[in-house]
Amino acid sequence: MANIKEKIGTFYHEVRDHWKEPAEGKYVPYREYKDIFLAVGCNYSGNKTLEYLGFWASCYLMMYHYKLPYLTFSVINIINMPLNYIWTMMTWYIADNLGFMPKKNERKFYGVYMLLTVVGIALIVFDPSQLFNQSGRFVTYMNSLEGISCSSAFKILGTHLLWNGWSGARNIFWRKKLIPKYGRYKYSLYCNAIPKCITVILIGWLPFYNIPDVVTRVWVANLMFAIYSLFPFDNSLEMCAQNISPNVRERIWVRTIPIKLSHFLNSIISILMPVFIGMLRYEWADINLFKYIIPGFFTFCVAVTMIFAGRIKERIPQPPIERKVTISFWDGMFGVMRNKYKWVNTIVGLLDSLGNGMLPFATILYLYTFRLSGLIYSLLVALVSFAGTPPDFFSPYFLKRFSYKQIMIFYQLSRALGNAAIVLSLLFLGDRVNLCGTVCVLVLIFMEMTKTIPTTAGHDMDIRINDYQMYLSGERLENFSGVFGWFTGPITSFVGLIIPLMLLRYGFNSNWDVLFVDASRFKIIVIPIIIDIVGYVLMTIPYLSWDYDDRKQNMVMEVLKARERATHGSLDGTEAPAEPAESEVVS
Amino acid sequence: MSRKQKNSDAPVTPETLPEIPESEAWTYQIEGMKAPIIGKPVENAGVKKAVVIAVLIVAIGLSIFFSVRAVHSETYNYTQTEIGWELTKFSNPGDITQLTLDCAENDSAKPLTSIREYAFNCDDKLTSITVGKDVREIDSKSFYSVWNLQTIFVDPENAWFCDVDGVLYDKALTRVICYPIDHDAYLREKAGYKEELWPDSEGYDDAYATAVQTYHLPATVETVGALAFNYANLTTVYLPAGLKTIETLAFFKSTNLKTIYTEGAGGVIRSLPDGLETIGSDAFSYDQALDYMYIPASVKSIGHHAFWDTCFKEDGEVKGVAVMHVAAEEAQFKASVDAGDHWLPSYDYRLFKKTIDVDYGAERAQ
Repeated sequence: MANIKEKIGTFYHEVRDHWKEPAEGKYVPYREYKDIFLAVGCNYSGNKTLEYLGFWASCYLMMYHYKLPYLTFSVINIINMPLNYIWTMMTWYIADNLGFMPKKNERKFYGVYMLLTVVGIALIVFDPSQLFNQSGRFVTYMNSLEGISCSSAFKILGTHLLWNGWSGARNIFWRKKLIPKYGRYKYSLYCNAIPKCITVILIGWLPFYNIPDVVTRVWVANLMFAIYSLFPFDNSLEMCAQNISPNVRERIWVRTIPIKLSHFLNSIISILMPVFIGMLRYEWADINLFKYIIPGFFTFCVAVTMIFAGRIKERIPQPPIERKVTISFWDGMFGVMRNKYKWVNTIVGLLDSLGNGMLPFATILYLYTFRLSGLIYSLLVALVSFAGTPPDFFSPYFLKRFSYKQIMIFYQLSRALGNAAIVLSLLFLGDRVNLCGTVCVLVLIFMEMTKTIPTTAGHDMDIRINDYQMYLSGERLENFSGVFGWFTGPITSFVGLIIPLMLLRYGFNSNWDVLFVDASRFKIIVIPIIIDIVGYVLMTIPYLSWDYDDRKQNMVMEVLKARERATHGSLDGTEAPAEPAESEVVS
Repeated sequence: MSRKQKNSDAPVTPETLPEIPESEAWTYQIEGMKAPIIGKPVENAGVKKAVVIAVLIVAIGLSIFFSVRAVHSETYNYTQTEIGWELTKFSNPGDITQLTLDCAENDSAKPLTSIREYAFNCDDKLTSITVGKDVREIDSKSFYSVWNLQTIFVDPENAWFCDVDGVLYDKALTRVICYPIDHDAYLREKAGYKEELWPDSEGYDDAYATAVQTYHLPATVETVGALAFNYANLTTVYLPAGLKTIETLAFFKSTNLKTIYTEGAGGVIRSLPDGLETIGSDAFSYDQALDYMYIPASVKSIGHHAFWDTCFKEDGEVKGVAVMHVAAEEAQFKASVDAGDHWLPSYDYRLFKKTIDVDYGAERAQ
């Protein structure tokens, strides 16, 4: 007891003495811990609040007010997919260079982006579909698409060009102007916070959902959300805080205490918000949710974030741009393609896409089976998500006791098993709402509990994969891992159509009330889950070839250390060799 | 850094790991792993680049080709069945407001006999559908969410279905199948009203409500079909005395429905019919304008959420169906009625929900 008292006393004195000035060898005063707690917490909560708003089918604004056809979201993705390859390459170049480029290249980029913007606006304002034969195959085909016409397809394309053009130019401009002043993590908040607040408020108040014609509603909503997404409110302060100190031990301490604790703010908000929503007459379907509650919570989070963000310092020294390692596009691409384990992850991701287009099962369960709202909803959601926390304490034991291969295979099988249990409960207990719902929630809790350790394992595996990449190529090439998405993108786009097309057949379109029809709800939930189960079982196969064990990792680390010695002569006083290269930390 | 990772990073015993000379640090190949390639040009780079580009172009091309085919749908989709042809899906190209369902592919030799569930799902252009003489199977969900549908007429020669002024019934008039969602627009026009009126609009009166928002079911009707009156803009419904069943979602989201009467030989009573046996799940869900509900003693089954969200709290007062009046005594009701979960509505009570009170053994209001 006396020992504990003594420790508390020591800790108190430590905090008091170093409230404003950090201890020797440390960089972060304790006052900044408080700032991190509030700023990261509100940044994270604001970011989470925005999950209620988006151009996707399960957004309540889309669900209850815009009522857009479900398949339309997939069609828009297909329209935008090919051009995305070009934008990705351009963005990589800018991000990797922190927005600083040779003047000549910068002018070229600005030129291309401005041209895109102008073409985008032109496509939105004018109607190029009039140039085509109105009874021709092209126009007839485009008009036959769900929620889209030939004319609106050009507007959607125009929106895509406008967004990419404007955001690309903006990206160069703000990076160049603000990174020197605010640092690479925080700059985005300073240029986006206010416009984001304005767009969040406007989305609720602009009555575009009253447009009677669904085709017009689709392209207008697409444009509105494109403008909204021009101003990201990412969780960038957490990134900043995670890299806050050159002292590695202090970094871990900051990650463990103020950052972890700050997430409790989000827990409070995610319990409070449904309580407020439950007080609205039409609850989730009430437009006041988007007019008052979401903007209110979001603006509060932004205000607190911005007050405290300025007090968090970035202390990782930025190397001069000219010293940054530049890797040619093709070298990077071929480098990552030699990494067998990245292929394993890619194939797993590809198989996981079998479930793309699925409706959020838990939401359907809560809203359409249980008909939950208010505090009960909050508590149940909190309970399910909390279920994943206790197993986290056992992570070290399981990670030591079992191989990554075993853990990941168990994970996929547990997901298959959990989903199978849900299917069976819906099949045999569907009429008994309370019992069926209870079984499903128990299964969700089980699935949440079995997710925690594999998630930790997954993070470790990613770190190891990058260590291996470092061994293979001398660089971690994290950005270049995106090229795998180039190959899987076309397949996942197509595979992602399977479930929406099936749901369309079962009656799911723009009217979510169909989920009140018991027979239809059963099909709409169960058939995609069965497809998902198949995906989970198949996802065990790639992991069978996972042979990257502790011995190989240790060997890789030995090689990396040897390289470090060869370069610096000694490891003393340097960063751990596994730390990412500066150029890759950026993005 | 996790404990596991710390363990991995721990010094490795010399017996398991060989010493790596500094001179070989950049080229050292670990046994069982690929050799590092650092600072060297990629072999056959030209060929590899060509392959990557070709694969990407083919993958994107195929994806777009198949996606374009998958999302395209013909205006009419039919399948052949044992009894004829079934309309499985109608995709409105945007300009079709009236439709006659008599044969498939404009071929009179292919009589249309069935209409599949959700065949017109979420169409917002159609205003009138005429069902042909050969149609004998119509799913209760066939006309689901056809937002502007005003009338469903049936060919008089049809032996299985008929219509009563644009409302779909079975031929014997024992079952009402579909009251089109926008039927009030048809009644409005018929009664000479130029625009839609709401209770707070100027000119809204009893005459308007009677002509446009009131519906009398024929005396022969025994069943109100599933989804029959969903989203209907009705304030008053007169049910026949012989009604036995109200199926699932029958009056779902008929949010203006205020009063339900039963009319028969004995006159008009403000209640569900005395002979009613079944009330389906979600039958009256979200009908918040209802202010009185009386469950007759004849009822044997009530589906889950049958009266869900028919009450709400406003200014501290519970409105809508604030009390459920039940003819039977409590013990008798619980013994004889198979009541589904949450059949009673509930309202906000502090931070939770509270189910409304039930008045067992109640007298019917006049």
